[in-house]
Amino acid sequence: MSVLRRAKEWEISESEGSDVEPEPSPNRRSETQSGAPLSESSSCTTASPARRRRTKEEIEADRQRTKERKEAREMQRAARAQEKEERRREQQRRREAAKELKKLRPENCIRSLNISIDPALLQQEDSDLLLDTLALLEWRFTIESQQISHSITWTRDLPQGDEGQSSVEEDQVVLVLTLADFLDVVICVKEMLGSEGDETETGTGAVLSPLLECLNRDAKKVVTMLVTDFEADYSSRTEARSEGFPEQRLRSKLGMKNLDIEEVLVYLQLYKNISVVFLVSWQDVTDHVCAVTKALSKRPFKLLTEPSELPFCVDGSWAAGARVDRDGSGLGLVWSRQIQQLNRVSPAVASAVTESFPSPRALLQAYQKLESEAERKGMLTGLLVKTEGKERRIGAEISARVYRCFTAQNPQLVLD
Amino acid sequence: MPAPESVRWGRKRVLPVCPNPLFLKWLTELRDDAKEKGLKIQFTYQKAINSLNKYPLPLRSAKEAKILQNFGDGICKILDDRLQRHSRENGTVLPGHGRQRAELLGEQTTKQRSVPEIRSGGCFCLFLFIFVCFLQVPGHKGFMFKMELQAEAQSLCDGSCSAPDLGRKHSIWSSVRTLIQKNLVVKTHNPARFSLTEEGRVLAERLAAAAEEEEEEEEEEVVDLTGSADEEEEPQVLTADDDDEGPPVSQTASGMSGERLLPGSFDVVLCVDFIETTGGARHRKQELVRELQRNGVAFDVRKLNVGDFLWVAREKIPPVPGALRVPAGRELVLDFIVERKRMDDLCGSIIDGRFREQKFRLKRCGLQRLIYLVEGGGASASHLSLPEATLQQAVVNTQVVDGFFVKRVQDVRESAAYLTIMTRYLSKLYQNRTLTRRSRELEGDAGADATGSPSCSLISFEEFNHGAVKNKCQTVREVFARQLMQISSLSGDKAAAILERYSTPHSLLAAYDRCSSEAEKEKLLAGIRCGKLQRNLGPALSRTVYQLYCSDGALS
Repeated sequence: MSVLRRAKEWEISESEGSDVEPEPSPNRRSETQSGAPLSESSSCTTASPARRRRTKEEIEADRQRTKERKEAREMQRAARAQEKEERRREQQRRREAAKELKKLRPENCIRSLNISIDPALLQQEDSDLLLDTLALLEWRFTIESQQISHSITWTRDLPQGDEGQSSVEEDQVVLVLTLADFLDVVICVKEMLGSEGDETETGTGAVLSPLLECLNRDAKKVVTMLVTDFEADYSSRTEARSEGFPEQRLRSKLGMKNLDIEEVLVYLQLYKNISVVFLVSWQDVTDHVCAVTKALSKRPFKLLTEPSELPFCVDGSWAAGARVDRDGSGLGLVWSRQIQQLNRVSPAVASAVTESFPSPRALLQAYQKLESEAERKGMLTGLLVKTEGKERRIGAEISARVYRCFTAQNPQLVLD
Repeated sequence: MPAPESVRWGRKRVLPVCPNPLFLKWLTELRDDAKEKGLKIQFTYQKAINSLNKYPLPLRSAKEAKILQNFGDGICKILDDRLQRHSRENGTVLPGHGRQRAELLGEQTTKQRSVPEIRSGGCFCLFLFIFVCFLQVPGHKGFMFKMELQAEAQSLCDGSCSAPDLGRKHSIWSSVRTLIQKNLVVKTHNPARFSLTEEGRVLAERLAAAAEEEEEEEEEEVVDLTGSADEEEEPQVLTADDDDEGPPVSQTASGMSGERLLPGSFDVVLCVDFIETTGGARHRKQELVRELQRNGVAFDVRKLNVGDFLWVAREKIPPVPGALRVPAGRELVLDFIVERKRMDDLCGSIIDGRFREQKFRLKRCGLQRLIYLVEGGGASASHLSLPEATLQQAVVNTQVVDGFFVKRVQDVRESAAYLTIMTRYLSKLYQNRTLTRRSRELEGDAGADATGSPSCSLISFEEFNHGAVKNKCQTVREVFARQLMQISSLSGDKAAAILERYSTPHSLLAAYDRCSSEAEKEKLLAGIRCGKLQRNLGPALSRTVYQLYCSDGALS
C-alpha cells in the first residue's frame, strides 16, 4: 500500500517542483502523526488534498522513522563491532603477553641467549671442550673480541616491539685466567694496597688494568675469575681431583701464604665485587660457563613472576596445595591445611577443628550462634586433640587466634 | 630458686621486685613440698611460678590471678584459701589495693589521686600516659613502632622498673601484653605497630587529666613527660629524613634515628651466630672459634636470627669504676651479612626446602651486601644425596639469580681466615667514617648500592635482630594469603591478587553474602587480574574458592 502511495507522490512532486522537502519540519511531522490535516502546507497544492497530504506526510514520517531506526541500528552495530574489536584486541594482547611469558620460561629463554667468547681463550689447548659442549647443547655462541681479554659474556635477545634495544648485555662476566695471569693480578693488588691512601683506580698490570677500567665504566658487572692451572699435566690434575682440594695445590703453587692470598681475594670482593674460583681443568670451566648460562635463562622468568607483595617466601612444602576436583572433593584437606597456616598449629589440632566444623561456613555459623565476643573467642578452647595417647585441649590461645583470623575486618591486625 | 632481688652468677637478667611476694612464697612452698614427695604436680606449680614472675602488677585476689597462664581453678582455690587464712591471722590486705589500680580498672574511687602512686604502680600506667601524650601532638601518625615504644618507656620508667636494661624491657613488654589482653591497646601490621583502642584512649585521657590535676598541686615531683624526655635525649643530629617526619617524632623519640657514632668512637666486631659454635659435629664447629681466636679477631658469639656472621660497629665505652660489668654500648650493624653453607648443609637444605626460604629471609633483612660462604667442594660433595652438578648449579644460581656474592673456600680454616681478613678490612674501611643510626621502622630500607662505598646509614643491632625473627607474628592478611594457597594451582601471585580485592576472610565472605545468586557467587573471583601480566584468575579457580567458602555441608 505504501509503495503505491509513494509512487503517487513522486508523480505529484515532479510536477510541482519544490514540493519535496528532504526533512519535513517538526511541525508538520507531529501534525501528520496526530492525523490532523495541515492547515498551512506550503508545498502541496494538489487536488485531493486531505488524503494525499496525509499520506505524503505520513510517508515522510515513516521514512524518517525508518531512517532513524536504521541509524540507531547502525550505531548499535558499530558499537558492538567496536566492542568486539576491542575484546579481540585485548585477547590478542593477552595472548601475546602469554607468548612473551612463555618465551621467558627457562627452557625457551635459553634460546634467546648468546654466549660471546674471546678468541684469546681458544689458544688454550683444551678449550675445544667448551665449544664442543656448547654445540652439543645447541646453545648459541659466537667468538668475538671482548672488552676484557680472556672473558666470556652473555647477551639476551629482547622481545620485539620493545623500543630501542633488540638485545641486552647480561651483567655476568667470566674471566678465565692462567695461574701466571692470576699471579700478575695478585702482585698488582698488593702494590695497590701497599701504597696507602690513594689507590690508583686502574692500577698496573696487563690483566688487572683493563679489567678495572671496564668496571669503572660499568659498575654493574659481576665478574668471576676462574683460575686454572693449565700447565699441570693430566696426571697431576686427576690426582688433584681425587685429593679433593685442587685449590690448595694451586695456592701453594703460587708460593704465597694463605692469608696473603686471602687479602687479595677480599680486596677484590670488597672493592670490585669480583669473586675468584680455583678450578682444575677446562671441564670445570665448561661446567661453570654452562651453569651461569642456565642461571641466566632462569632469571627473567623468576623476576617477572615472583610476587613481592607477600611478606613470606612462596616456596616451601606448605605452599604445595591440595588438589581439588570439579565437584569439590579435596576441599576437606584444603580446609584442614588452612587452619595449619596459623603459627604453632599442628595437624592434630587442625583435625580436631575440622572434625567438629567440617567447613568454613560451619565454623562461622557456630560463631554466630554465640552471643558474646568472649564466648566466641573461647569457642574452640575445649576441643580435644588426640596426640599419641594423651588427650589435650586446644587451649584459649589458639582458639582466640582462629576466631580473630576468620572474623577480623582489619587485615593488618596481628594475630599472635 | 633465687630471691627476686639478688643477682646470681650465670643468671642472664636481674628480676625486678616481685609485686606479689605472698603468692610467690606460697607457690614456692607448694612446689618444694611436692618435689620432696616426688609428685608430678611440682612442675605445675613451677609453671605457675614462672608466670607469676613475669607479671608486673600486684594482684588483689586469687581470682584475679586466674588471668595468668598456668593458673587454673585448682591453684587459685589453694591460694584463695591461704589468703583468707593469712588475712584472718595477720589482718593485712594484699599490696596493690591502691586507688590508682582501681582507677585503671574503671571502678569507683575517691577523688584523691597522687602521681607518685601512679608512677610506682608500674609501667602499666605510664604507657597510657605515653600514648596520650603522643596522640595529643598534632600530626602524630597515631601509632608507635616497637622500638619507639621501648625507647620511650625506658626513658620514662622508674619506681618498680628500677632494674637495669633487660629486666626492665621484659616488664615493659609483659605490660604491653596485658594491655592488649585488656583490649586497651591493639597491635597491627608487620613490623608491629601499637595504637590505642577506643577504650584505651578514654582511659588514658582520664588518667592524663588526673595527672594534670596533680601537677597543679605538686611542684617538682611531677612527671613532666615531654620535659624529661627532652632532657634524657642524647645530643642529636637531625638527618634530612627526620625533618620530613616532623619534629614531634624525632625529638621525643629519644635515642632514635639521627644518632651518630663518630670516627674513632667505635670498634668493628665480628658477630658469630652461636649455632655455628655448638650442636652437631661440635669439635669441628669449635674449630672455627678456635681459629678465630688464634687469628686475634675481635668477635662475639650471640644468637643471630638470620645469617651466620655479621659485623657490628660497637661503641667504645670506658668501664665505670666500681662496676663489675661494662655498660653495653650502642651497636650498629654494618651492611654485610654472611650465610655459611657446607656442602652437606647445602644438600640438606635444598632437599627439605629451607634453601630458598633462607635466601628469602636474607634478602629482606635490611642489609644490602649479601655473602654466601660455600665450604667444601670436589670430594666433599661427591657422596651426598644430590649430584655435585646440582649443588654447583644451586651455588651459581645464588650468585646470578639471587644477587649474592659467592665466596668459595675449602674448609673451616679457610672460612676462619676469610672472616678474619674481612674483619680487618671492614675495620679499615669504616675507620674514618661517621656512622648514622637509621631506623628501618621509621625510614624504610636504604637503596641498593652494589659497588659504591658501603653505606654509613646503619640499623641498630637490636632492631635488626628483632626484625629478623623467624616465626614472626602473623597478620590476618598474611594468614589469609597462605590459606588461599592451600588450593593447588592457586599460586602466590593469584593469592596476592585476590588479597588486593578482599584482604580478609571476613571481607570475602561478606562479598559472597551480598551476591544474589549462586551463579554470581561462583563467578565472583573469575575476573580478578593476577600477576605482572594481569591474567584472569579464571572460572575454575573462582568456583573452587566458592565451593570452599560457601558450602554448608561437610567438605570432603
